[in-house]
Amino acid sequence: MSSNQTNIDYSKKDLPGILTKLGFALFGVGLVIVISAFFIDHTRAAFNNLILLLFLTSIGLGSLFFVALEYLAGAVWSTPFRRVLEFFAATLVILPIVALPLLFNMHDLFHWTHNEVVQSDTLLKSKSGYLNVSFFIIRMIAFFVIWLTFYFVITRNSKKQDISGDQSLTSKNIKISAVFMPFFALTVTFSAIDWIMSLEPHWFSTILGVYYFSGTVLAALAAATLAIVLLVEKGYFVKGMVRDHYYSLGALLFAFVNFWAYIAFSQYLLIWYANLPEETFWFLHRWEGNWMFVSIGLIIVHFIVPYFGLLSQPSKMDPKRLKFMSVWILFAHFYDLYWLVMPTYGKGYAVFGWIELGFPILAVGLLILIFTFKSKNQNLIPIGDPKLKRGLNFRL
Amino acid sequence: MNEIDYTREIPVIEGRPALREIDDLIAKPLETKPDKKYYLALAVTLTMTGIGAIALLLSFYYGTGLWGNNNPVGWGLPIVNFVFWVGIGHAGTLISAILFLLRQRWRNGIARFAEGMTIFAVMTAGIFPLIHVGRPWLAGYLFPYPNQHSLWVNFTSPLLWDVFAVSTYFTVSFIFWYVGLIPDFATLRDRTSNKIKKLIYSVTSLGWRHSNRHWQHYEMVYLILAGFATPLVLSVHTIVSFDFAVSIMPGWHTTIFPPYFVAGAVFSGFAMVQNVLIFIRKIFNYEHIITLNTLERMNKIILLTGSMVGYAYAMEFFIAWYSGVQPEQFTFINRAFGPYAWAYWIMVSCNVIFPQLFWVKKIRRSIPIMFVIAVLVNVGMWFERFVITVTSLSRDYLPSSWAYYAPTLVDGAILLGSFGFFFTWLLLFTKTLPVVSIAEVKAVVEGSQPSHGDH
Amino acid sequence: MSDKILYGYTGIFDTPDEIILAANKVAEDGYKKFDVNTPYPVHGMDNAMKLPVSKLGYAALIFGLTGTISAVTLMYFLSVFDYPIVIGGKPFFAFPAFVPIIFEVTVLAASIATVVTMIALFFKFPNISHPLHDTEYMKKVSSNKYGILLQADDLKFTEESAKELLAKLGAKDITAIYYDQAEISTEHKIFEPKFISLLIIIAVVVSGSTYFALNKLMFMVPFNWMMEQSKIIPQDNNSFFSDGKAMRTPIEGTVARGNMPYQFKGDPESAGKYLKNTLLPTEKNLDLGKKKYDIYCSPCHGYYGEGDSRLRGQFPNPPSLHSEKVRTWTDGRLYHVITEGQNIMPSYASQMTRKERWATILYLRVLQRSLNAKESDLE
Repeated sequence: MSSNQTNIDYSKKDLPGILTKLGFALFGVGLVIVISAFFIDHTRAAFNNLILLLFLTSIGLGSLFFVALEYLAGAVWSTPFRRVLEFFAATLVILPIVALPLLFNMHDLFHWTHNEVVQSDTLLKSKSGYLNVSFFIIRMIAFFVIWLTFYFVITRNSKKQDISGDQSLTSKNIKISAVFMPFFALTVTFSAIDWIMSLEPHWFSTILGVYYFSGTVLAALAAATLAIVLLVEKGYFVKGMVRDHYYSLGALLFAFVNFWAYIAFSQYLLIWYANLPEETFWFLHRWEGNWMFVSIGLIIVHFIVPYFGLLSQPSKMDPKRLKFMSVWILFAHFYDLYWLVMPTYGKGYAVFGWIELGFPILAVGLLILIFTFKSKNQNLIPIGDPKLKRGLNFRL
Repeated sequence: MNEIDYTREIPVIEGRPALREIDDLIAKPLETKPDKKYYLALAVTLTMTGIGAIALLLSFYYGTGLWGNNNPVGWGLPIVNFVFWVGIGHAGTLISAILFLLRQRWRNGIARFAEGMTIFAVMTAGIFPLIHVGRPWLAGYLFPYPNQHSLWVNFTSPLLWDVFAVSTYFTVSFIFWYVGLIPDFATLRDRTSNKIKKLIYSVTSLGWRHSNRHWQHYEMVYLILAGFATPLVLSVHTIVSFDFAVSIMPGWHTTIFPPYFVAGAVFSGFAMVQNVLIFIRKIFNYEHIITLNTLERMNKIILLTGSMVGYAYAMEFFIAWYSGVQPEQFTFINRAFGPYAWAYWIMVSCNVIFPQLFWVKKIRRSIPIMFVIAVLVNVGMWFERFVITVTSLSRDYLPSSWAYYAPTLVDGAILLGSFGFFFTWLLLFTKTLPVVSIAEVKAVVEGSQPSHGDH
Repeated sequence: MSDKILYGYTGIFDTPDEIILAANKVAEDGYKKFDVNTPYPVHGMDNAMKLPVSKLGYAALIFGLTGTISAVTLMYFLSVFDYPIVIGGKPFFAFPAFVPIIFEVTVLAASIATVVTMIALFFKFPNISHPLHDTEYMKKVSSNKYGILLQADDLKFTEESAKELLAKLGAKDITAIYYDQAEISTEHKIFEPKFISLLIIIAVVVSGSTYFALNKLMFMVPFNWMMEQSKIIPQDNNSFFSDGKAMRTPIEGTVARGNMPYQFKGDPESAGKYLKNTLLPTEKNLDLGKKKYDIYCSPCHGYYGEGDSRLRGQFPNPPSLHSEKVRTWTDGRLYHVITEGQNIMPSYASQMTRKERWATILYLRVLQRSLNAKESDLE
């Protein structure tokens, strides 16, 4: 233990048991709904399962991205709560299980798995080198292997540092993070292409990877902000978190809300303006029937409300506002994914029922369980990190 | 020493200079007469500007037929140069606004200079759309004002968005720059004994007296301006990319263009800033203010944005194949293996391959190598705009109209003139205004901020 | 210069820690009108001086929103009402395409307005002179020292207590700052002859150069407004061709666009027999016919075809068009008369297109029917 860490005011406290119980309850309720959904309407359940997979990927991968970004940028303000992001990154571990049901329902989800359709469709035929079942599964496995490898390596080093306080571990993690970034960029893009774009196999957009990325980081940041504010308020966290830390979180949330809007608008404007039939149909599907209201709602939910909610300087550091906005943004991300995925299932008619409700419940339950489970045998703050002291002294 | 101590912050300004020394050092170029080398450099840039001016006068007199632009390539070098220079102008605002919002304190040493470059680059860029209209004295019609023809501009045209974006960008950058200069003018005012200088500085410093009641509002304004400049800088190159992307031309119409252009602009802008700073820090002895660490950080950003650009190239290629749309596929094959393959491969090697060398720490910290790489980056980025503009147009939907575009001598002279114009302003800037922000540098010198009372 | 008024007392400190402490003490002491001068913004000074948070954000918000609203309304008004024109198949109010300009105008308005607000409200521009300027104190704090100023117009201020407080805080170089009335005068100086003559010079220069630019310069070389172009105009000589003329005669057998030879020349009977009206008596065609009739026919035949010429004997009156003969003529026969002319009536083939001639005939039938209506028309 290095000498400079001696006066950190932190003693590990277990999270309340009620949280675990709540997690189990939500998880149980969600699981029952999800399983019965698969028995009743397995196509609809599969689409919802895809949303669930994308959502959990967002949280897990986005958190890992922020962990790596902190190392790379040499940021100190986020060091005290990097563990929170690491815990959320553990979501990556359960992704293969969440993805499993999809593999049995590929035929319902993806139009391009229908061999006879592909044979009679020139465009799909020309894409079959990429869009075929075996390559799809290989890619999916590759994503999981890459994510999990980096997750385990980075968090293992971080955990080791709690005991040893060894500075070389930070150097090591910086290097690993640098290698992670290109892999991250490619995997997040191709997972977006595989899991979102190929739902409408005729449609294409070069920006979609960036679009999904913008949602991913936003969701991960919102989850982390919510957890941090709650932990600090209930006194489980290290002392010394001040307005400046909150402000940074709020400002980042605000920045990424704008980034998402920028990417979404760019994609829409270019397709709307050029008006090419091979591209516009994707947006037209999202404008048919009651999808129109969902689309307009997306602008309000994902941009206007968080924009004005976080615009002013005081609101960026108000814990109450931050809590509300994080929950709102998590909801908005789910909404966004629903908007991306479901029009393929319900062309011209947006469906919403108990099935759609069950999956988010399961997701919340899972996230709570993962967080509490990880916090059982780990410190909530990276106690051995050399940047911790500086992070706590951080002032704007 | 291999190990870095993460428990302590690496000082942004090396050697803990006294505040008075900073004043002296930064004010020195303004208080001394320029030497021979300076006049030599100025002569070179003025000659280049002159050549460009002659080429422009010829173009106005005889018409734009002197350029290589013809059917089907109606957008030749003028648009290439316009996009190139606007791109150069992006690093300044990025450094001064975005890095300010991200609290990257190493920016303080280079922000002023980079902002100056932004303004000059945007001025240079502004020349090209003006001359491209052929009759630049009629450019007033680009603005929506009630005229005797009772006609209005076309608000749905990306070219008009350009007019708004570039003029707004210039204005806001200029204001941002000026606001940053106010405290420095006051410091200079209180230093100088020359009466005329004193009068000028008294007027330009707007009565500034370093009062904390003013600093408070000043910092708020700076924050607000940074908050506005950040989306603004993104919007400018986004709108420039819309010039291309809203069309249905294969190779132009792809949705990734906005972020891709912004990344490319930051990429080339940083390379240019890095190039010039290498000279500035040497000539004016600013090595401890613009440190090697700062340059290394800039190189990291060049590596990052270069990789983003590479990502965009790859995405375009992949989606062109994935789309199954034949004109798209043809366009990209044609770019890489068609008549302009030479330009394409210059672009790819300079923009994607060479910057990857910055993964190596030694190269990131070696001044000659980083200089060469940054020059190559700018060559590559110029060719990127060339490839985008020319290859798509020269092989459009109608094979009967295909033609090979080659710029003329006049085109080349105008390009040369634009460099002369830009560097002339830059040279004048180094001798008339503090190229490093005095107040901002002082604020990040070690020991200049109070230690926290609660510790 | 003689009557010096006390502005306040200043003291100098050497380190940022000291000045923060001192500022805090002064604020806690109940001073309202005091100031701290530092060469750069010192972190935490706002709290130490107990300053309220800057409200300039509201200026940015208000002016930004003003910019947004004016951009939207301007573009809406211009594109939907003032000059609606379909461009690229987009609606008149093409909102997505307006977003870039709305954004730019918002940013422009907010940025300029925020800075102007700061300069006008807090720097008190244009009255920017201040007692502190040109003092030794100012020279120090603008470079490397940290200074504190206690103003004389504070309620708690007395010379003794101020000096004492500064000394207690450990300030060095405690000095009094004086000013005279002229120096800090806030009277407007716009009526001074100097300023007025400056305005006059500016006005003359601006109007003169504007006149020169708009009325003279714009018509000098190279601004030739495309009057001189290197091209051959029709009446020019041109040595390229053997006949030395620029104009070419059309190739043998060339037919002008829309040319249709009239095949019943001098043969009214066949025309009446074979030509059929190509138009139906629709409202649109009748309107066209009425228009053409009123222009070309009515001067001689009268508005109702009764042969009541408006030419008052300068040209012989034609007979009525309501005669049995004309009423029983076929449309083709009438067409022949309009095309070829008859007796003293000239041909109208060059004035009226074929369609217009047929439409006029339809209208003429209406006129005829109006005087000779059938029983069935009443039903």
